[in-house]
Amino acid sequence: MIQDAVEQSITITDPNIRNVPLEERDDIIVCENVFKWFGNFCAINDVSMNVKRGEVVVIFGPSGSGKSTFIRMINRLEEHQKGKIVVDGIEMTNDLRNLDAIRREVGMVFQQFNLFPHMSVLGNITLAPQRVRHMPKAAAEALGMQLLERVGIPEQAEKYPAELSGGQQQRVAIARALAMQPVIMLFDEPTSALDPEMIKEVLDVMRELADTGMTMLCVTHEMGFAREVADRMAMFDEGQLVELGTPDQMFNNPAEERTQLFLDQIL
Amino acid sequence: MTVGVPGWIRTNLFSSPVDGVITIVLAVIIAIGAFNAVSWVFFTASWEVITSRVPLYVIGRYPQDLYWRPETALLLVSVLLGMGWRMWGGLARGFAIAIIIITLLAGVLPYLGVDLSPPTEPDAPPNEPKHLVNAMFILNFVAVAVGYGLAMIPSIGRAKTFFITAIVFFIISAFLIIGSSYIPGLDPVPTQDLGGLTLNLLLAAVGIVCSIPIGIALALGRRSQLPFLKYFCVGFIEIVRGVPLITLLFMSRHILPLTFPETVSIDELYLAMITITLFSSAYMAENVRGGMAAVATGQTEAARALGLRAWQTTIMITLPQGLRNIIPAIVGQSIGLFKDTSLVFIIGMLDLVEMGRVTIQGNLDFVDDGHEVYIFIAVVFWVFTSSMSYVSRRIETALGVGRR
Repeated sequence: MIQDAVEQSITITDPNIRNVPLEERDDIIVCENVFKWFGNFCAINDVSMNVKRGEVVVIFGPSGSGKSTFIRMINRLEEHQKGKIVVDGIEMTNDLRNLDAIRREVGMVFQQFNLFPHMSVLGNITLAPQRVRHMPKAAAEALGMQLLERVGIPEQAEKYPAELSGGQQQRVAIARALAMQPVIMLFDEPTSALDPEMIKEVLDVMRELADTGMTMLCVTHEMGFAREVADRMAMFDEGQLVELGTPDQMFNNPAEERTQLFLDQIL
Repeated sequence: MTVGVPGWIRTNLFSSPVDGVITIVLAVIIAIGAFNAVSWVFFTASWEVITSRVPLYVIGRYPQDLYWRPETALLLVSVLLGMGWRMWGGLARGFAIAIIIITLLAGVLPYLGVDLSPPTEPDAPPNEPKHLVNAMFILNFVAVAVGYGLAMIPSIGRAKTFFITAIVFFIISAFLIIGSSYIPGLDPVPTQDLGGLTLNLLLAAVGIVCSIPIGIALALGRRSQLPFLKYFCVGFIEIVRGVPLITLLFMSRHILPLTFPETVSIDELYLAMITITLFSSAYMAENVRGGMAAVATGQTEAARALGLRAWQTTIMITLPQGLRNIIPAIVGQSIGLFKDTSLVFIIGMLDLVEMGRVTIQGNLDFVDDGHEVYIFIAVVFWVFTSSMSYVSRRIETALGVGRR
């Protein structure tokens, strides 16, 4: 019984959506003329961008360009001060009910993993399903084990985060976010804090996740991953969305000089 | 050249003529000091001021026919130490063995003619050994064994069970020692009769145990968005921290009652407990706040991103990690508070220090024995406080393992 329920709930996204052309899909994230200031510093300057259901968007750009701030606004870790953000039909306002609904739909993975050090791996994963979705403990644990299976480390369930390698911790963080059964996943430089040999194991998990039809916004400089997995890429600089296009377009024929310059530097 | 003890001495103490002179001069000074100290302790000092009235220093003028009550509390402590011995070994074993040795001595010595509280009247007959009192002392090794045995049962030998048991035993012990007019068979002991080291320990334990939840509440209140709650907590913390404990105790005894109706009177013991608890809570609140502020912001962000509400994030994420951060601070505060409990003399209670003072000032035989009394008291305080800080260092190490 529990297994079936878990099986159903785990595949909340539709893998087939990857076969539907982008222009025929609905917008899952709509941003219109969004602004954000830190004091006098304009961190996000008039960004408008729509993301289609099941789309993978890689966001890149120099440091301080506002790319992290931008994806943190999608689940309100940063508040936008002007403009409009709609996530899966719910507008981002100060209404707490909207905010809760959005946070349930959006999972997030951080550069520094941010696992809870005082809880076991399984405890990290089952906390939110139990406390936010009010799932019974047994069901949450079954779901947690299933997710650990999916990210390839079921044998680590009883350990504490500090006993795991960086790559394993980040995979736990992905499993923890997935346990809330989100339809959108935000990745904020998920591989930047990892040793080179661990980057692949995390990217592999992300690649598989993309195949399930998950909508993903990834801030990353892993250009191999972008070329292979991204539907579109977004170049940020000085708080502005400089250019938005397919990987092919970006790598071979960027419209903006700034994009060209930046890609030349990092490739 | 630097091999062995002679080598070490040569490089560290006699590496140049000046070094050699300094070493010899200091060695002579230290030797004279040590010789004087030892000869004073063993030949000059008159320890009768301690040995002839041990019960007074331990528990004050507590009625002798009620000794079974504090002794039962001691047995509960022994059970806990026995559990600790089985669960953690090392440190708890040391304390358990110490308590077994001390209680065995206390229980057996009266039968060997050593009387620790001889009659004060010169012509009175010597005390008969009190069999119940002595037997209950001797039984402590059984209590340790019982605790050890209980902890061998897997469902009992867990840290969580241990702490719940400790809290329950603590409450039972406090009621046993103080008594309560609401519990049949446990008549309240007159406050003036409860004193000595037991009073210091009781006040410190009540103060720390009760100030942890109150301190957490104050710290959370101070972080709250609600202005009234926030400023109430800030005001309470800052006012209490700005006033010396001795002043608070004095006010609680002499000024606060002016605001009560005349028929209401609160016993000094409870006044002291409440005042010490509130005093400690203000400091605890600042510790908790600091501990929570030290938790990385990423933790809160991760919790919020998962959809946990602000209060859930505080209770499940920030607070547990914050409390772990401040274990050393809590122990430091316990040590300070334990020493501060001697200030209750200001409201007329006979704690260990005040008992010493009263003994030398109120008794012509002992009027010259101030050194002996205060050195004894200092050693007693030192033994307890240094054990506490040793325990805290061990807990820190243990908690650090495999976590972060």
